[in-house]
Amino acid sequence: MTWRYRFVLFFFVFLFLAVIGRLFYWQVVRAQELAALGQAQYGKQIKLTPQRGEILTSDGFAIGANKLSYLVFANPKEVKDAKKQSEILSPFLTIESSTISALLERDKFWVPLKSRVDRKAKEKIESLHLPGIGFEEQAVRFYPEASTGAKILGFVGKDDVGEDKGYFGLEGYYDRQLRGKSGVAVQIHDALGQPILAKMNDRVNKVDGRDLILHVDRTIQFMLDAELKKGIEEYGAVSGMAAVMDPKTGGILALSSFPTYDPRSYQDFSDKLYKNPFISDAYEPGSTFKPLVMAAALDANLVRPDTPCSICAGPVAIGGYTIKTWNDEYQANLTMTDVIQHSDNTGMVFISQRLGLNRMMSYIKDFGIGEMTGIDLQGEVAPAIRPKEDWYPIDLATASFGQGITVTPIELLTAFSAIANGGKRMEPHVVAAIQTPEGDKIPIQPVQLGQPISSKTARIMTEMMVNAVDKGEAKWAKPKGYRIAGKTGTAQIPVEGHYDATKTIASFIGFAPADDPKFLMVVIIDRPSSSIYGAETAAPLFFRAAKNIFTYYGIAPTESN
Amino acid sequence: MKKPVYLILFLFTIIIVLSLVQVGLSNKISTAGAQLTQLEKSLISYQKENIVLQEQFLEASSFTNLSKKAKKLGFVEAKSQVYLNTPLPLALKQ
Repeated sequence: MTWRYRFVLFFFVFLFLAVIGRLFYWQVVRAQELAALGQAQYGKQIKLTPQRGEILTSDGFAIGANKLSYLVFANPKEVKDAKKQSEILSPFLTIESSTISALLERDKFWVPLKSRVDRKAKEKIESLHLPGIGFEEQAVRFYPEASTGAKILGFVGKDDVGEDKGYFGLEGYYDRQLRGKSGVAVQIHDALGQPILAKMNDRVNKVDGRDLILHVDRTIQFMLDAELKKGIEEYGAVSGMAAVMDPKTGGILALSSFPTYDPRSYQDFSDKLYKNPFISDAYEPGSTFKPLVMAAALDANLVRPDTPCSICAGPVAIGGYTIKTWNDEYQANLTMTDVIQHSDNTGMVFISQRLGLNRMMSYIKDFGIGEMTGIDLQGEVAPAIRPKEDWYPIDLATASFGQGITVTPIELLTAFSAIANGGKRMEPHVVAAIQTPEGDKIPIQPVQLGQPISSKTARIMTEMMVNAVDKGEAKWAKPKGYRIAGKTGTAQIPVEGHYDATKTIASFIGFAPADDPKFLMVVIIDRPSSSIYGAETAAPLFFRAAKNIFTYYGIAPTESN
Repeated sequence: MKKPVYLILFLFTIIIVLSLVQVGLSNKISTAGAQLTQLEKSLISYQKENIVLQEQFLEASSFTNLSKKAKKLGFVEAKSQVYLNTPLPLALKQ
């Protein structure tokens, strides 16, 4: 009898263990898989798309913002009369009706018709109640000032996986700050599709992009764009660019370049227009380089403003070449002040001989020539200076008046900030501060890159440049009553191993008011046809823009007429 | 042996009360889903409205737009300015 009891006992123990084992299998071994299956049935994963940060000028206006637009799609299976519907849609979508018709006749459940359709067009199409037509919301970048400041802004395109990505300018350089981080939320729903509050968990919060607050002054930017565009047309130039900087902080107040593109429809323009030539193109600066070389010689105590030039009585022969002045006029014992005033090439050769190659190269490097300035825009280049061993005496001579050496406009502007700022060279910056979505501002402090010259040299050079503006070739265009320090430039363009005398890059660089500079500006006009000279093209344009800035800042004339 | 009986009764009562509270709260929260959906819809609607209004504001106050309107209304650029530089006949307290 005992064995019967034992048998039944073992049988029940076996059943018990079997149940335990099966429970273990489903609740431990297959637990994750079943949880995911359950979540998929009654849970919904929502992607939380972050808002891209805005780009704000110094007055708080958003020149780069976001707006709603729509992707118009169709379900061809629901469309009854494709031809008629395509004719109705064609004017709203600005697509040929034949193209729309071909899409509506496809054997698919979903076809995209057009993306980035604005709200007004969407509402008009919606009011027609066309069968099979639907809309999907899209966030797109919006530039309310159109092409103003396009070279600073860049644009937002798509990356390899179809996500928004910034290219060029600020959109490219600060893309990671602007784009933010997407999040995911899992919501548990009941049978009616409503979320169950107690069960909402598994949330990775999205982080909206950060805003950029710029040094750029919208008024100065708009004015500079208008003046530059007008000037390029007036002087029959191929292209032009200009920029305004606060020399004390390195803040870029405006940057303009034509031809340009509209970042709202960048795809309709040639990709050659996307890059910013102010930071990406190099050129031979010509006479605008002279103040840097003169400042070097003054700082090294090799010359004084009244030092006479002993070789300026006529053309100078160097290594089989002859250096002449721009107007083939010569004056013996020209002072250094006169060399800058008359933009005398032979006087600059005298300076370069006093400096010697080693000292000149050292000062050029201290001025930042041949190095990246570190401006916060995508696409900066810095053409290297040839090594000393590759320099011949003629190269030293020509470099002294800005030929045979290449710089980018931003390099030149940054170098000049030293003369305008008591000898201190400042790092150029477009962005003044970054603002978090919570409203906290993270300022970007001004950075001093170096001090190539002393403050005393800077003051002397400033006076020489004021004299050049007051008595030089461009004096006719200067606004009366203001002390403006500046220098004209007329650089010949190298073409296939020689210089073309009929094609020049005309430029003017200067700062004002000379005693306490509020702005430093450079204007560069490429191949003007009305006149090849900087004094007759870039200089008047500079002075017109400067006059507008004086009015805007309320800077009154300080000298009687 | 009365103490254990009272203790058991007390604990039993606590359990019953807490269970009833949990049932009541769960019941209340479970129907809040509808309210939550409504609030979420309102939030999204206000956010969209903000974006639309901001777009309109930026378009209207852009210099590109304002300069076109100014030209239409006949505004012209100021050709010259007059600065009043003569000092006022006032004694200033330093």
